[in-house]
Amino acid sequence: MNGNGFLVRMEGISKRFGTVQALKDVDFDVKRQEVMGLVGDNGAGKSTLIKILTGVYKPDSGRIYFEGREVSFGSPKDARDLGIETVYQDLALIPLMSITRNFFLGRELVRKVGPLNLMEHRKMDEIAAGALREIGVKVRSPDEPVAILSGGERQSVAIGRAMHFGAKLLILDEPTAALSIKESQKVLDFVLEAKERGLSIIFITHNIYHVYSVADRFTILEHGRKVAEFAKGEVSPEEIIEIIRSGVAKVITGRCETCSG
Amino acid sequence: MHFPSSLVLRARKRPEFGVFVGFLIVFTGFTFAAERFLTFDSIAGIITVAAELGIVTAGITFLMIAGEFDLSVGSVLGVSGMIFAITAAAGLPHIVGLLLALVAAAFIGLVNGLLVVRTGVPSFIITLGSMMLWRGVILAVTGGFPVRYWGDSGLLFALNGRFAEQLRMSAFWFLGVVVILAFILTRTRYGNWVFATGGGPQAARTLGIRIDRVKIINFMVSAVLAGLAGCIQFARFHSVDPTRGQGLELEAIAAAVIGGALMTGGYGSMIGAMLGALLVGMVRSGLVMAGAPSYWYQAFIGIVLIVASVVNIKLRRWALG
Ligand SMILES: Nc1ncnc2c1ncn2[C@@H]1O[C@H](COP(=O)(O)OP(=O)(O)OP(=O)(O)O)[C@@H](O)[C@H]1O
Ligand SMILES: [Mg+2]
Repeated sequence: MNGNGFLVRMEGISKRFGTVQALKDVDFDVKRQEVMGLVGDNGAGKSTLIKILTGVYKPDSGRIYFEGREVSFGSPKDARDLGIETVYQDLALIPLMSITRNFFLGRELVRKVGPLNLMEHRKMDEIAAGALREIGVKVRSPDEPVAILSGGERQSVAIGRAMHFGAKLLILDEPTAALSIKESQKVLDFVLEAKERGLSIIFITHNIYHVYSVADRFTILEHGRKVAEFAKGEVSPEEIIEIIRSGVAKVITGRCETCSG
Repeated sequence: MHFPSSLVLRARKRPEFGVFVGFLIVFTGFTFAAERFLTFDSIAGIITVAAELGIVTAGITFLMIAGEFDLSVGSVLGVSGMIFAITAAAGLPHIVGLLLALVAAAFIGLVNGLLVVRTGVPSFIITLGSMMLWRGVILAVTGGFPVRYWGDSGLLFALNGRFAEQLRMSAFWFLGVVVILAFILTRTRYGNWVFATGGGPQAARTLGIRIDRVKIINFMVSAVLAGLAGCIQFARFHSVDPTRGQGLELEAIAAAVIGGALMTGGYGSMIGAMLGALLVGMVRSGLVMAGAPSYWYQAFIGIVLIVASVVNIKLRRWALG
């Protein structure tokens, strides 16, 4: 069932918010060193699915396996501690705090002095600045507040943070939404680089051409259900767009979940 | 030319920049308006008033940075002072009385915090209720009469003894509290969590910060410091009135806001809280010395509060683009 090839397996995940059935009986998996493209229309349930995987929400039903072991996340910290790092659509940045403080929030480098955990400000500044330089963000100083950064710069900070801490699984929810063409390309390069380093990546975006250029497989959601799953060779970007547009996968050959056998 | 201008540029980005300038202006004003203002006795008198208020202000600021609010500090100050006074009058060792008073304060803070994070009712409402509840308890227990105690001890001296003219030990407690809380906020991991809890609770939670725990701890810190201020005030007056601390919550919140703390959380500083409390203390003494009827004190503080809030908002927009 949970062979060594899989880093993550989610089985029969359902989640309801009041009257909204955000997810219904969704199976989803990611192999080791694989880029999984998670696509679907607005409100399809993509963010909800990954928020369940990162411990933000508890599923109403279903199981999650990570590295072959069943896990149950009580909080986002549990998922982070296992090596799951996320760039959320809302970025999870705190505008009034400095870049460095945001970068290391919940992961502060500390030196223990008696009962005190003293932050290593200088070291954290250096690392944060270095990580951002690496993804090509020029910040005047890592102790500037995030509030003064542009949308794209903020997104880069969130990505830089996830890249830096992402030990095993990196989840990117619309990471290129506010980025210029050049910045987007950097993110895509980084996804491939992270894969090269052995990480698995879940990439969510509405830009099918972006995800198609980096993903190995695709999962397509529609109204909270999984409608299809393809390996890259089985489908073209245009066909994926057609499935999302029409909501049916019948038109395509390949592994099609909703087609009756 | 370059160095000083960049210094100003850096300074204006700090939360306490506004109150620092305001402090200098008011200080200069009183120096000219009131003859005896710039004397050792007068400055010491200001510090004595500001120290007791400032310890409470520091606690409230610490809590406000975490995005919550405490109207019950005046009542907590009264409860702790009363416990200290009653136990001393009953002949208990002062250290026991002091500890009981602080434990009671911590308990009230814990209940405030638990109610806020568990129920989701805004802290304004919960602590308004708490303020009325504990004031009522004090009035009921004392029957409305003050409690006096004329004894003395090393501990009472350490809390608020006079050691040079009008200068009292409370100044050191004030300074100590400010330094410790400033250190926690700026240098420790917990300080990072406090700013995050107030500045973006959703994001902080997502990143694994236990924001409920941070809030409860800060409610307790705020209450314990109010309790400490109550004990320090008792050591000065040797009596506690059942209305002791009434109205102080508003003064402390005013001082915190003047000091640059944001009501919405995530922003503020201990140096700002200290200057805010000193500014309020200075206005109180300065107006009297300038010959203004003491009735004008509240009106003046009201003006300072409004002007400070407006200036602080403008400064923040300027600094944060
Ligand atoms: N916290 C919540 N409370 C109530 N409803 C929610 C909540 N989160 C998501 N939903 C609902 O669940 C459905 C799926 O939302 P989700 O955010 O997962 O979609 P998405 O695929 O990420 O969409 P988008 O591409 O627009 O980001 C939507 O109908 C949304 O309104
Ligand atoms: Mg989404």
